[in-house]
Amino acid sequence: MPQLNPAPWFLILVFSWLIFLALMPPKILTHQFPHEPSTLTAHKPKANSWTWAWQ
Amino acid sequence: MTMNLFNQFLSPTFLGLPLIAIALMAPCLLYPSPAPWWQSNRWTTLQNWFIGSFIKQILSPINTKGHSWALLLATLMVFLITLNTLGLLPYTFTPTTQLSLNMAFAVPLWLATVIMGFRNSPTHALGHLLPEGTPTPLVPTLIIIESISLLIRPLALGVRLTANLTAGHLLIQLVSSAAFSLLLSQTTAASLAVGLLLLLTILEIAVAMIQAYVFVLLLSLYLQENV
Repeated sequence: MPQLNPAPWFLILVFSWLIFLALMPPKILTHQFPHEPSTLTAHKPKANSWTWAWQ
Repeated sequence: MTMNLFNQFLSPTFLGLPLIAIALMAPCLLYPSPAPWWQSNRWTTLQNWFIGSFIKQILSPINTKGHSWALLLATLMVFLITLNTLGLLPYTFTPTTQLSLNMAFAVPLWLATVIMGFRNSPTHALGHLLPEGTPTPLVPTLIIIESISLLIRPLALGVRLTANLTAGHLLIQLVSSAAFSLLLSQTTAASLAVGLLLLLTILEIAVAMIQAYVFVLLLSLYLQENV
């Protein structure tokens, strides 16, 4: 089985971790999640009904 | 014959340059960093939703100390799911069929959870080796069994992903070559093979996503145990 060929194992390890540590995290980190649910506001928000503006 | 079938998993090189590096870069190229403006485009919004809901789901059973692993788990998930699904396109190479890559991720991350557990609360971590309510004569046996099951985890993690993806790709290659060779002589059989191929492809898409999820989920479970 060619996957068991030990020759590129170290290179694959180095490459994959390099990309996993250096290139991917900045892209994930720049995602922001602004509307964080807060348990401090105990009251229910006023129900705002919204519908498509048919008229 | 077998050598021919497994040839698709040979780490590809072109003029001595390993092409797996390009295959590994594919996820980075597909996900542009979100721009600083308030409303992003559809692709970025989709990624945002996915990362947010995934992180909420995977971190909910873990206590606050383990939440520092959020970035790592999110990156790993996006990375693996992209590599897996991209590999289903024709003529692409799936790096996650390489045992080297999967072990390269499984062993250090599992070891990190174990070392964390042993450093922060060694008694608690050792306590995992003996389930509660074990009858006394069974204690030594069970400790040995639990230690073996602990040590086999990274192997299982890596091999699970490799085997699932390799088997899927191999089946697709087998069935498609059968369908192609039967196309002119026995068209009915070929059409059955094509139907099977369609179902197989749908299965492989599901397997690609599920296996990536299972990898990260199991890691989060190992983290949960040790944190």
